[in-house]
Amino acid sequence: MIVAKDVSLTYQDGTQALKDVNLRIKAGEIIYITGPSGSGKTSLLKLILGMEYPTEGHLRVMGQSMVKDEEDNIRKLRRKIGPVFQEFKLIRGRTAFENIVLGMRFLDFTPKEIIENSYMALERVGLKHKRDSLVDKLSWGESQRVAIARAIARKPSLILADEPTGNLDLDNALNIMDILTSLRDENTTVIITTHATHLIEDKEEGTFIRIQEGRLKMERRGVEAYE
Amino acid sequence: MNKRAYNLAYFLKESKTLFKIDFLSNIFSIISIGLILFILSLVLLGWRVSSYVIQIVEREGEINVYYDLSLQEKDINYLMEDIEKIEGVSSTSLVSQDEAYNRMAEILGKEAGILELFDENPFTPFIEVKIHIEEVDSILDELESMLGIDYIRDNKNIIDRLQNILIILKVLGVLALVAIGVSTLIVVSHIIRQGIYNNRDQINTLELLGAPDIFIGFPFILEGVFLTLLGGVIAFILLKLVLGLGYSKFFTALPFLPLPAEESLLIPIGIFILLLSGLLGIIGSLFGLAKDNEKA
Ligand SMILES: Nc1ncnc2c1ncn2[C@@H]1O[C@H](COP(=O)(O)OP(=O)(O)OP(=O)(O)O)[C@@H](O)[C@H]1O
Ligand SMILES: [Mg+2]
Repeated sequence: MIVAKDVSLTYQDGTQALKDVNLRIKAGEIIYITGPSGSGKTSLLKLILGMEYPTEGHLRVMGQSMVKDEEDNIRKLRRKIGPVFQEFKLIRGRTAFENIVLGMRFLDFTPKEIIENSYMALERVGLKHKRDSLVDKLSWGESQRVAIARAIARKPSLILADEPTGNLDLDNALNIMDILTSLRDENTTVIITTHATHLIEDKEEGTFIRIQEGRLKMERRGVEAYE
Repeated sequence: MNKRAYNLAYFLKESKTLFKIDFLSNIFSIISIGLILFILSLVLLGWRVSSYVIQIVEREGEINVYYDLSLQEKDINYLMEDIEKIEGVSSTSLVSQDEAYNRMAEILGKEAGILELFDENPFTPFIEVKIHIEEVDSILDELESMLGIDYIRDNKNIIDRLQNILIILKVLGVLALVAIGVSTLIVVSHIIRQGIYNNRDQINTLELLGAPDIFIGFPFILEGVFLTLLGGVIAFILLKLVLGLGYSKFFTALPFLPLPAEESLLIPIGIFILLLSGLLGIIGSLFGLAKDNEKA
């Protein structure tokens, strides 16, 4: 699913966000990435989504080599990914429902499926009643849940959730973690970053990656380790 | 519902939103596109009218031969026979003094009263020679060498002058077409750029979600086509007004000027302007979008 070999990412201003990352993630895994602010969690997700390219090393996502020359194919790859951005990236001036629908219009869904998936996703994050509210008017926590709904409605093979519980109270946070965890199956890989180590401490299964100053430390629970 | 129709509804709504975001500059663009297309349609109008007039005048291909008034009827007949032998002449006929008078009276119509100011018929009889216009030069040469001819009036001069005007109009037309095409493209692509800039966050998000360029760009293309088509409609309405006005004035002022029917000008020029405006809209928006891709 994801293979990183000696990947480093240095931003244009010289900030080295990731150093010598080696990573092998199988389809159907669930990965929790923790680490202090500024340690490189978002940067790693950016690489996987093709928002940045490795400045060193090689990265493959679902077989797609992540290099600038492959831009068009990377755009296609993104259709199989459900991203939840740390800053949401909802489309302003539109309702919660429209935002979710818009994330699916160019995927292989029929209009009926698009509408059904959108309703179901909204219901799942507990926002059915905010369906027709403009996203500009939603609270942070609500916006975050719309962003999650948009990602899961796409029925992606890979979910990239960057701090999906960052703005939620404990109940909602646990709920969202449960939803994201439950999405994982043979066909769906889930990657979640979070500061909130208490939310994942008791998880019995999954790959736990700790990033410290751009370097990865890995621990696997409940699944066989291969490194 | 069909997926295409489903997305088309979305695209239309999107382009409406785009239009509203930049409402005033869109309105001004429509007006300026409308005016430049109107100028183009005026040039096309001139082009069409003059080629029509040339056609009519050429088809009439006729020369009036004023003979020496002292010639006897017999000599006139000989002269006519000689003229008919010239290559390129199809027929000759004698127009008597009275007939010449009647013809002018007919042309002047309501104004024919002027002719009554003359005590006697001011017209002279002449031989009307129908010719193939291509051979006008050689025919004139031959006629000039004949005896008994006072004066020859041909419309070669008029045709030549019209043809010169037509060439100028054609050149102007092509220049106008290029200038208008370029300026419309600039206006449209600028507006589209503006729209892209205003929507850069949304575009960026859609790209991150994997939306194809065509999906992202379609509302912008629609907006561009919408702008230019509305401009085309404005040009069309102005053209119709000008034509209506022009025809009512021309027909009374210059009743003998051969003009094509109003619809035969309005409809082809109108269709051309509308098609052109749609095309310019598409190309302009593609330009606007293409520039964006390079910068990204
Ligand atoms: N576009 C950029 N240009 C330059 N430096 C950047 C850029 N984006 C991130 N950085 C830097 O790279 C480092 C890692 O940032 P990153 O966003 O990956 O951290 P993070 O672990 O996601 O932090 P947080 O928990 O606060 O979200 C930080 O030092 C950050 O300042
Ligand atoms: Mg981050």
